[in-house]
Amino acid sequence: MAKDIVAGIFCCVGTLFFIIGTTGLLRMPDLFTRLHPSTKCDTLGACSVIVGMAVHNGWSWDLLKLAFIVCFLLLSSATCGHAIGRSALRRNIPYWKKKEANEDGHGA
Amino acid sequence: MKKVAALLFISALAVLLLYVVASMPPMGDPDNPTATHVIPRYLERAEEETHTVNVVTGVILNYRGYDTMGEVTVIFCALAAVLAVLGRERRGVIHGFVDRSEVPASVIVKTMVRFMVPFIILFSVYTILHGETSPGGGFQGGAVIGGSMIIFTTIFGLYESSRRIPLKVRAPLEGAAVMGFFLVGSLGLVGGGNFLTYAWPRVAQGLHPSLVVWLTVLVEVGIGLGGAMVLTSILFAMIREEEEIAPAS
Repeated sequence: MAKDIVAGIFCCVGTLFFIIGTTGLLRMPDLFTRLHPSTKCDTLGACSVIVGMAVHNGWSWDLLKLAFIVCFLLLSSATCGHAIGRSALRRNIPYWKKKEANEDGHGA
Repeated sequence: MKKVAALLFISALAVLLLYVVASMPPMGDPDNPTATHVIPRYLERAEEETHTVNVVTGVILNYRGYDTMGEVTVIFCALAAVLAVLGRERRGVIHGFVDRSEVPASVIVKTMVRFMVPFIILFSVYTILHGETSPGGGFQGGAVIGGSMIIFTTIFGLYESSRRIPLKVRAPLEGAAVMGFFLVGSLGLVGGGNFLTYAWPRVAQGLHPSLVVWLTVLVEVGIGLGGAMVLTSILFAMIREEEEIAPAS
């Protein structure tokens, strides 16, 4: 029973991070700020969902599979975020500035 | 005038489609065609008849083997069509593709791809070999191998990846799916049964279950290898450019 509650809390936290990440992806103004919430989805959201599943599952060989999934998720999503951000920066994709700061010619 | 005609056509289509939807059988009715013909038999007797724990694999490779063989042939024909249009790279010549991207891949991405691709291929081998007991199978595993080759080729270039899977390895394996089916099907003919039945009445009354499973795995491996090589060949044909680039020493 306590196991189910802990697992449920972890899964709910993970879902919350997914919701926050998706909202950020839709609402943020430019690529760099969108990159920030969307990478949080993969790391915090998916990892806490997987931790919740691991708690729910208890000790078994499936834990090893879940650990591998977490490892590869962390490695690949961090690499993806790095590649997208670096490519966008090198291509001089314009980044978002506040309106009034834009008129002064200074970045926000 | 054009708009009015389009509107009329769409309304007529909508009326037709709605009429068809209205005459569909109600959902969840036990008298539905989906619940009366062959499906109950698949679900109830798949394990004892096909000896595969996974009913989906039993249906795809055993009950409906002809159908899957047709699909595999379609994939092979897709490769043949792509190669007929774009052409195959010549034997012994190493082609490159010009990396026109403004930003070359960083060291982090290269290291990660080099680290991950073997694990991706290992996972796809697991998917292929476990296809008869758990979700997965040849098509999925082959697609995963193809995806890993796409990552590797986009990061390291055609020269590096076509050196690792050269034409003389790919060309015989592209037909592996069709050939696997044909081999197992012909074994059925030789054993006195029908094509692709996994039953050899001339040899034994009922084949040993483990042998049937091994035959299924053979077909599965053929589908996986063939699918992976077909995807890789299509990728190489599409990414290849005519100018030949001297290999970077």
